[in-house]
Amino acid sequence: MTRYILRRLLLMIPVAFLVTIGIFVIIRIAPGDPVLTYAGENPDPVTIAAVRADLGLDRPLPVQYAAWLSRAVQGDLGRSFQTHQRVTEAIIERLPVTFELGVAAILISVTLALLIGTISAIKRNSAVDLVTTSVTLAGVSFPNFYLGLLLILLFAYVVPGHIFPPGGFTPFATDPGDNLRRLVLPAITVATASLAVNLRQVRSSLLDVFGQDYMRTARAKGLHERAVIVRHALKNALIPVVTIIGIQIGAIIEGAIITETIFFIPGIGRLAVQAIPSQDYPVVQGVVLVSALSFMLSTLAVDVLYAFLDPRISFGSAEA
Amino acid sequence: MSEVALPVVVSLQKPGRVSSIRYFLRRNPRMIVGGVLLFILLFMAAFAPFIAPYDPIKVNIADQLQPPSFQHWLGTDDLGRDVFSRVLWGSRVSLSVGVISVSIGFLVGVSIGLLAGYLGGTFDLLAMRVIDALLAFPALVLAIAITASLGPQIQNAMIAIGVVAIPGYARLTRGQVLAVRSSEFIAAARTVGVPPWRIMLRHIFPNIANALVVQATLATAFAILAEAALSFLGLGPQPPYPSWGQDISYSQRYLANMKWWMSAGPGIAIFIAVFTFNFLGDALRDALDPRLRRSG
Amino acid sequence: MGGFGMARRSAWRFTAIFAVLAILLSACASNTPGGTGATSAPAGAKAAYGGSVTFAMNSDITNMDPMLSGLFVDRHLMYAMYDSLVRVTPKGEIIPWLATKWTVSPDGKTYTFTLRTDVKYHDGSAFDAASAKWNLDRYRSTKGSARVGELAPIDTVTAVDAATLKVDLKTPFAPFLSVLIDRSGMMLSQKTVEAGGADFTRKAFNAGSGPFILTEAVKDDHYTFKKNPSWWGTAANGDKLPYLDQVIIKPITDGDVRLTNVRTGQVQATNAVTGKDVPTVKGDSTLVYQEIAGIGNNSLYPNEAAGFIFSDHRLVKAVSMAIDRNELLNKGPAQGVGSVAFGPIAPSHFAFDPNFKPYAAPDIAGAKKLVADVGKGPLKFELLVSSGDAATLQFAQLMQSQLAKADITMDIKTLLFNEIVLQQNDHKHLGMTLIGWSGRVDPDGNVYDFVYTGRPNNAASYSNKSVDALLDDSRTATDQAKRKDDFQKAQQTFVVDDPAMIWYSYNAAQLLTAKNVQGFNVFPDQLPRFETVWLQK
Repeated sequence: MTRYILRRLLLMIPVAFLVTIGIFVIIRIAPGDPVLTYAGENPDPVTIAAVRADLGLDRPLPVQYAAWLSRAVQGDLGRSFQTHQRVTEAIIERLPVTFELGVAAILISVTLALLIGTISAIKRNSAVDLVTTSVTLAGVSFPNFYLGLLLILLFAYVVPGHIFPPGGFTPFATDPGDNLRRLVLPAITVATASLAVNLRQVRSSLLDVFGQDYMRTARAKGLHERAVIVRHALKNALIPVVTIIGIQIGAIIEGAIITETIFFIPGIGRLAVQAIPSQDYPVVQGVVLVSALSFMLSTLAVDVLYAFLDPRISFGSAEA
Repeated sequence: MSEVALPVVVSLQKPGRVSSIRYFLRRNPRMIVGGVLLFILLFMAAFAPFIAPYDPIKVNIADQLQPPSFQHWLGTDDLGRDVFSRVLWGSRVSLSVGVISVSIGFLVGVSIGLLAGYLGGTFDLLAMRVIDALLAFPALVLAIAITASLGPQIQNAMIAIGVVAIPGYARLTRGQVLAVRSSEFIAAARTVGVPPWRIMLRHIFPNIANALVVQATLATAFAILAEAALSFLGLGPQPPYPSWGQDISYSQRYLANMKWWMSAGPGIAIFIAVFTFNFLGDALRDALDPRLRRSG
Repeated sequence: MGGFGMARRSAWRFTAIFAVLAILLSACASNTPGGTGATSAPAGAKAAYGGSVTFAMNSDITNMDPMLSGLFVDRHLMYAMYDSLVRVTPKGEIIPWLATKWTVSPDGKTYTFTLRTDVKYHDGSAFDAASAKWNLDRYRSTKGSARVGELAPIDTVTAVDAATLKVDLKTPFAPFLSVLIDRSGMMLSQKTVEAGGADFTRKAFNAGSGPFILTEAVKDDHYTFKKNPSWWGTAANGDKLPYLDQVIIKPITDGDVRLTNVRTGQVQATNAVTGKDVPTVKGDSTLVYQEIAGIGNNSLYPNEAAGFIFSDHRLVKAVSMAIDRNELLNKGPAQGVGSVAFGPIAPSHFAFDPNFKPYAAPDIAGAKKLVADVGKGPLKFELLVSSGDAATLQFAQLMQSQLAKADITMDIKTLLFNEIVLQQNDHKHLGMTLIGWSGRVDPDGNVYDFVYTGRPNNAASYSNKSVDALLDDSRTATDQAKRKDDFQKAQQTFVVDDPAMIWYSYNAAQLLTAKNVQGFNVFPDQLPRFETVWLQK
């Protein structure tokens, strides 16, 4: 077990390495010159050269990469070209914001998926089943930026009273109530996209479970149908739900990019969207590295958890 | 990273061709619905110049921000252009991005997967680390970064979305190849001396085709959605060419003024296009994969 | 509002902000503190102390160090926390601030400032001539300083005694005082700047001597200032300034969200109202909307490269004749906010000529004729627009449709902001770009760097001997009337006779406040001054 986790962690190193090289190359083939934006309003060639040397951008790419990497492994991701803020600090400031949005979205999505998925599975092939599966398929097909805009439109300008503000962010510590109110619309926006996937997973694993022997045994023992579902079926169906939550770390970072942009939430996604076109290399590299690492770690965590929950899985076959 | 669920290898039985298609469709009515939706989309894209009542890029400032009416079914935008005509023309961008980027992802991904699965060894190890790295990127961040680097143009968005789609095909193909490789008929083909590329093309590829078709259909849905998102962020086609995502971003400024129609047309169009491919992909999966059909 | 936050780019703002008809609403325009005879509270109302005002700006700042700041938006905070040597009235007159008076030598090369002696920085250290010298020297000689260009005319700075600062220039430079109004003249505590190191740009606590003290800075969310109880400034009626206990400045990128915040009372003031929303706020009796002519402008800018289409300046003129400036202003994203421009000298500049209207109406036939006269076939060029800014893209498409009427083909190409600047500076692009300039108090700052031979912002490599001579003279002349004449003559040349670029609109300076917010004045530079603001009980 420990050996397996260690091996997986070791395998993450070359992947993380490739990710950093990848992003390093991608953002540097862009034709713009970040120095021009940072050298002030009337940049003269001397200032530009000075700034470039100061940022180390006059050195060959491999040297720049080596310099960045050697500092990165010590936990120093450099400073933003644009704000001169430490990248680690910028990320630490914003991670909790995206994390909160992600947790809220997962809560909404998984709760609804369990609820609707269970009903669908029980009333399999009924009208309810058909409607819910179609509606969720529609949900996953709806562009989340348009959904976000519609929600803003609805709650800011149609529904009176500004129940849910059309964007912005209040730290939980400042005003918990306002923080949660502002969270609702973006969380729904992110949750909708993943709801269909979750629901499908819950439904099909429940159907699988329904066919299992122990279910028949449970029924044969004369247990009430509801007790059967809650005690046996749902518990077993939870296994894939755990998997889903893990996989969704990626989907949430994805959803956060657009959603944070629309709702003006200062999270990781918006940091990336702002930094990429302004060629703020240290920030882009930092954000990509951190999100790739959290994605890989969460996948690992899920695999481990999965094995704990389901003894049928052995670690030998995990590296398929 | 372990695969979550490997779609199972099934091949279509091949009795008489026409009758089998008819049989197939009768067994899978959702295919018909999906097919009709797809046909409508393709028709819109192909005949946009003939159906569109107005020139989609003709600025007519006197008619700006008109709500939907008989003259303008979906209203006009802030430059007085007909939203309905722009939606029709916009389908060309979305569909071509869908097709081209999925082709890029398919060709590259399947090739990598076939080679990695078949050759194994160092190539497999290296290729899969690269694929892992691609997977570890948040897809949209990667797409934005690639498009931004290559320049905010539609061709580059196609490349970016294609690259993002590579890992899906590669892992799927490799997994299937691994499953098929050890089977007796491959071993037999090898001993007879069939060259590796022929084994891949003739024996392995057909066995994984169904799973790939499903993957490609669902990937088209993702590609259309991703293109819309990139266009929304300003990384799509050059104006004044209409694009759904970009038209929604134009309209964002007018939300507070309740000019909802500017975004309704393109928003619903994106939804229908993505829904069509998701629906079709789902139907195909159920139809081509008896195991999933049984459980679903 | 662009997904990519292009609007945050400031001085070189790619025309996200447009400009307006100069309805000079500066009702209490002389409302300036400093014990210099300016008034503060409107007549009849006794200003009240206390309270807190939240102000919304349109994007987040990137830098609090005046030396490194390159963005317009940064200056929102700086006017609250820092004092500069001199300041400016809403009418553009330079007034004493940390310098109580100054003399200029007859040759125009030596400026001697008398400084206040009662000023302490928020960290407790004293402001004196040595501190002023340290600041100016830091700005002009630090590697990577963005102020080097502005302060280039300085030869030496000398602290004569604690209250006297002498600045010797290399050559006479008439706009010199105007340079000291803003970042180049802002005074910071050496102790705090040096202790801050590389983090200073984000955490400039206690560095200034201004009316408010920065106490909290949360990126992308808010900046909190508390009253500086020992600030030196007083209102004309003797009131000790500032009135407010607290100021909060919030970046809110989206115009709709910003407006909603103001209307729901979460924010009491903002200086950025989208054109389409202006009629709404004017009709809202709980709000007060002020709008005056700004000093910034928006223009189309030909970029020189090999095979430069616009090296024949008649083609620049053809484009200038073909566009309909009124339609661009009123039907484009600006929706009438701002005013039509023909040159870079803005209505609030002393050198402005209200009768200078060379392209008052589009002249389609004239444009066609000019293109035909040049004889190189139909005019076709590319306009680079920064991606992600929906309003600018719509604007470009409107202009494209106008030019099409004169058979001029303008293709729109979206690129990242950085790449546009690069192509421009490296002379790689043949077509045009859209340039917004936040403007300077002295017209020199709107003109010289754009049209003088060989200047860095002169991407078209425009060169006209008579323009150069006139602008040289405007820098050395000490007589304002002479300078005005120089500017107007030069403008006639570089706009009409031998056009360098195409100016089409002036920015407006806006200020939207809740009704109970008093003493808040709008300045042509669009920046808020909080020291005179008070809340009606």
